[in-house]
Formats: sequence, structure tokens, C-alpha cells
Amino acid sequence: MTKLFKLLFVGLLLFVSVACAKKEETTTTTTTTEEQKVLKVAGLNGGYGDAGWKAVAAAFEEQTGVKVELTLEKNIAETLRPVLTSGKDVPDVIYLSVGAEGKLTDTMIAEKQIADISDLLSTTIPGESGTVGAKIIPGFTDALTSSPYQDGKLYLAPINYSPCGLFYNAGLFEEKGWTVPTTWDEMWELGDKAKAEGIALFTYPTTGYFDAFFSALLNETAGPEVYARLMNYDATAWELPEVKKAFEIVGKLATYTEENTVSNANKDGFTKNQQLILENKALFVPNGTWLPGEMKDAPREKGFKWGFMALPSVTAGSDRYSTTFVEQVYIPEASANKDVAKQFVAFLYSDKAVELFYKNGGAVLPTTTASSFIEDGSDAKLFYSIYDTGAKANAVGFAAREAIEGVDLTSAEGILYGTVNSVVNGSKTVDDWYNSVIEAVKQYNK
Amino acid sequence: MRKSKQKSLFTFICVAPSVILFTIFMLIPTINIFWMSLLKWGGLSANKKFVGLSNFIKLFSDLNFIRSLQNTLFLIVIVTLVTISFALVFAAILTREKLKGQNILRIVFYIPNILSVVVISAIFSAVYDPSNGLLNTIVGLFQPENWKTIKFLGNPDIVVYSIAGAMIWQAIGYYMVMYMASMSSISIHLYEAADLEGASKIKQFFDITLPLIWTNIRTTLTFFVISSINLSFLFVKVMTTGGPDGASETVLSYLYKQAYDNASYGYGMAIGAVVFVVSFLLSAVINHVTKRDVIQF
Repeated sequence: MTKLFKLLFVGLLLFVSVACAKKEETTTTTTTTEEQKVLKVAGLNGGYGDAGWKAVAAAFEEQTGVKVELTLEKNIAETLRPVLTSGKDVPDVIYLSVGAEGKLTDTMIAEKQIADISDLLSTTIPGESGTVGAKIIPGFTDALTSSPYQDGKLYLAPINYSPCGLFYNAGLFEEKGWTVPTTWDEMWELGDKAKAEGIALFTYPTTGYFDAFFSALLNETAGPEVYARLMNYDATAWELPEVKKAFEIVGKLATYTEENTVSNANKDGFTKNQQLILENKALFVPNGTWLPGEMKDAPREKGFKWGFMALPSVTAGSDRYSTTFVEQVYIPEASANKDVAKQFVAFLYSDKAVELFYKNGGAVLPTTTASSFIEDGSDAKLFYSIYDTGAKANAVGFAAREAIEGVDLTSAEGILYGTVNSVVNGSKTVDDWYNSVIEAVKQYNK
Repeated sequence: MRKSKQKSLFTFICVAPSVILFTIFMLIPTINIFWMSLLKWGGLSANKKFVGLSNFIKLFSDLNFIRSLQNTLFLIVIVTLVTISFALVFAAILTREKLKGQNILRIVFYIPNILSVVVISAIFSAVYDPSNGLLNTIVGLFQPENWKTIKFLGNPDIVVYSIAGAMIWQAIGYYMVMYMASMSSISIHLYEAADLEGASKIKQFFDITLPLIWTNIRTTLTFFVISSINLSFLFVKVMTTGGPDGASETVLSYLYKQAYDNASYGYGMAIGAVVFVVSFLLSAVINHVTKRDVIQF
């Protein structure tokens, strides 16, 4: 009997060791027989879809002979996190924006896990003669989202830029004979007029969209210099009256907000809020250029036509702003193929890639040539011409800071944006909101 | 001598796999949580700083955490009370009474349990919809024209009840089946004797059924604590994302937000450690309070 057990036990041990050994064997053979370089690219399958990335990866393979392993998923932040924590099989290039759901990129920045790619700017674009630095529209690489530590070094390469602003039904404005407001005072007037007809002035998908909206508003009330200080957690800047003015405008806007907005301002219901614009139940919704694509199959009122504008100005003639939403790609510090990865990132700015990105999903890269691919008369032309018609561009995002436990200032449900829900449903006042923001900012300066 | 040695070897071999698996997948991670709760760590890098109990000290002055703990405890209590009463009544009716379509009813009650929480959340989001949801439309029938609909998910005072509603709907069938299983094992003679003595159905329920399935009820109470903590996270994540403005946050959804969205992994693990202790204590207290002499027949 004992013999039988011993035999069984030895057999089990043998089986385990053989099973493990076999696995090792297979991995070694694949690496030795593979002479071709492999580049692992992981990213978000988001509003622009994955067709553009597939096409660009194929073009890069053709150009350089490097094999690109592309993993694009809707929940990439969740699938990448354990990979990055373990430090094994880390992708060489990650496409996931700062502030994206799951805050993975933000954590990577806070933990200094992103490779310095300052020399990308002097890298020649594969297949072209110019450098990346000469091709990117000036200003993009200095933003906090690309150079988060403000040390003059580039960590995240900017891609896919799009203006954010207020979307409306241009058809409804024509039908009613309303003019599109250019100042906040005109906005309130229009709000009263619309209210009489049972239409709300404003709605928002979720409070997450306030990052772009509120940044533009802060630039309008306080100007770009103060805004830069705000994004660096400068408490004295947050205490300025012109900053509070922005909070007050949102507070007033709250009284004009469609009554069901808060109930639907979550992951499950945000499209119901966007639908309000299509059904003429609300006039304006803050959003990005992906909105028409996102709502393309939704039913809409007769004569519906997308309209898009920058935020109204604070006083007649003062600056109007539209936040430029930029996505990022970056190379993790743990990547084993940084050089090839840099080549790939450089390739993203080639005319070929730029065209492929635009034709397959509508993403526009921040290069000097990208706008030439946008056809006249298209929705995209309307959206991207917003800066040609007088609006100023502003970036969005805070400087990198060490996280403070229990203080979530910047996420979609955090103190700065999440509290908007409470202001709209009346459970908090603008002063409560403003004071809690000041208090949170002060904690970052301790 | 030889035989007992053989026997202990046999026991060892039989128990070893589960002990090893339990250690690797339960014991070590649990101990790890307590260790990580003492760190300041973002969760991704090797950059970990030992901060002692600082995370716990911050935790107990963090009003958002206290609110989420209150919400969780509230959900545990309300979901347990309501579910247990409905499940017991339904189980008693379905086992004791001869109803037409009894099997269909059983299936209908059990269906919510085989649906995924995401589907249930989507159903309830539609039911709670402020403009054309089922509940608001029904209530609206009895209201004046200018009546403002109830914001089930938008009003911070109501939203936790809305979450509880979905959780109760989901749980009743499961517990009903559990109670039915033990109720059907009660000897029919007891009820016949009670009938002859002239005891009413209600008296029979309280004096025969309840005492005889008491052990089962005690077990399910522990289940209630664990599943309310876990499921409330899923419901909240899909239906409200903790909103509006954190009003429906539960401990686990707050843990998730702190550990991931706020890059405070160590702090998140401190919340995890507290949840671990609280659920243990709660189960222990419930177990102690509900202790009765086991009645056998």
C-alpha cells in the first residue's frame, strides 16, 4: 500500500516537473528561432475604434520589418494593470490618455514609470526626411500631459487631438430663429427663452466631461497665466475672485440644467443625457468631436444638424476658449525594446500614418499636415475650424503630484468635477463646492 | 503502528492539494493585504514606502470613507431584513401550500439569480429612469400634471434605497430556494398534529417552521453579510458609479476608487483590511446573537 502511494507521489512530482520543464523548453525555442523583432503595442479601443491602429501597425511592419503585436481593448486599463505590476511582458508602447478611466496613465506618471523620450523630437520619421519635432504643431509637447514634471523633458507623445466645446442642434436654432449665444449673458437670456418652450439650456453626459469644460471656463475668467498656476496646485491662485467666478458660472448653469441629467450622469445613463440634444430637450452639451460618431445610430428630431461652438465669453469681446483634448502614447520604463518603440512612435507622425488614422476612424494627429486630409464640408471640418473662427485653445490636466490618500481632486467623480452633480441637484451650494476645492488644493501644498 | 502511519500519510496526501491552494490563493493574499495597508504605494512601481498605521489614521478621519461604510452597513441591514422576510414567506407558501403553477413560480423567483449583475443593473436603471421608467410612469398616474418625477438615481437621499431595491430583487430567489430545501425536510407529521390541535398557519410557521430551520437561517445570515458587501460594489459600479457626488459609494467601490483612480494603493488596501475585520466581526456578532439550542425532530 505504501509503495503505491510513494509511486503515486513520485509520479505526481515527475508530472509537475515535466510539465514545467516542457513550458520552459517551448519558450526558449520560440525566442531562439525568432530573429524578427517583435514590438508589443497595447492601447485603448476607444471612440476612434481600432481600425486606424491596425492599418498603421501593418504599414509600420511593411516599412521596417518589425512585427507589431497589437492589443487594443475597451478595458485596457484593467488588463494592463496586473501586467505592469508584475513587470513581465510589459508592452513597449502604450496608447492610453492621461485622465482615462482607471487612471492607469496618471498612476504611471505619479510613480515615474514612463521612459524619457525627449530625443523623439530629434528622431527622423521613418520613411520621411523631417524630424518628429518639426512635424508636431508647436505647443503640444510642452503641455502638462506630455511633460508632466515640467522639467523640459518629453515623456508622453501627443496624438489624436480634438477640440472640446458645446454641441447643439443647429437645425433647432434655425427653426426657432435663435442666434447662437456668444457671451454668458446671452446664454442666460437664451436659457430663459428656451425654458418658456420647455427646453432646458444645458445638460452634460457625466461630470467627467467637466475637465475640458471647466478648464476652458477657467481660462476665460482668469486667463492662461493664472490657469497654469491653477494646474500646479497653487492655492493662492485658486483663491482669486476670477477663479471663483468660474465656479459661479457653473452654479448658475446648474439652475438651467435639464432636471434628469444627474440621474443619468453615470456610466449606464450618459447616452440618455446626450440624447436630450438630439430630441430638442436640452440645447447644449459639453463634449468632444467623437460625439457625432458615438450617437450616429440614435434617433433624432427632424431637421437635426450638429452645431459646435467654443464656450461663450465672460464679457462681450473677451476671449472664448475651447479645450484641446489630446491623447497620449508612451513607452513604459520597463519596456525591453525602447529603440524600436521610439521608431514606432516616430512613425505615428508620418504622413502615411496620419492619413491612415484619419481615414480609419477620424482621428486627427497634431501634425502640421493633418488638417489637409480633412475634406471640406465634413463635420470634422466644422469642428476643427473652431480655432480658425476666433476661439483660443487651452490644454487640460493637472501637473503630476504624489497622490494624497482620501483626497481625490481631479477624477471624474472627484471633488472638482464630481461635486457638480451635487450643485445641480441642490444638495450643495457653489460656496460648499468652492471651499472644498480650496481645502483639497491646500493639502497638496503641505 | 504501521497502519496509523499509513493512514496519516494518506490524510496528508488527500489534504495537501487543498491546503496548498488555500495558502497560495487565500492565506498569502490576505496577509499581503494587511502588509500593503502599511505602505504608501501607487500600486505599479517598486517604490514602496513604509508608513506604519498612517493609512488607518487618515481613514478614520476621511468623511468619504465613513459615508461609504455607513452606506454599506445600511445596505447589509436593509437587504438582509427585507430579503429574509420575503424569502421565508415565499418559501413557506411554496413548500406548504398546494398552488397551481408552483414550479413556474419557483423558476420565476430564481431567475434573477442566474442573470448577471450587470444585466440586473441595466434592468433597474430602466425601471428607475426619471423620464419614462416603469416606477415613475406608474406613480405619475396618480399625480398632478406638473408633478416632478422621482429621481431614484439622482437624489442623494434616495439613491441608496434604489440600490437596495435592485439587490433585494436579485437575492430573494436564491435564499428562498435555500429555505425551501430545509423546510421540505421538516416532517409533515408535525404540521398534521398542529392542524389537529387547531394551530393556525401563522402559528405553525412561527412555532414549527422557523425553529426547525433556524440553523439554516443562521448560515444564510453570514452569507447576507458577505454577499451584500460584494454585490453592492457591482451594482454601484454599474448603476451609479458611486454618484451622485459619492452619495451611493460603498466601501468596496471607495476602495477601488482610492486604489486605482487616486493612485493610493496602500490606502485602498487599508480600506480592504478594515472591510475584512468588519465583516468578520459582524458575522461573529450575528452568529453569537442568533445562537439557540438546536431543535431536532
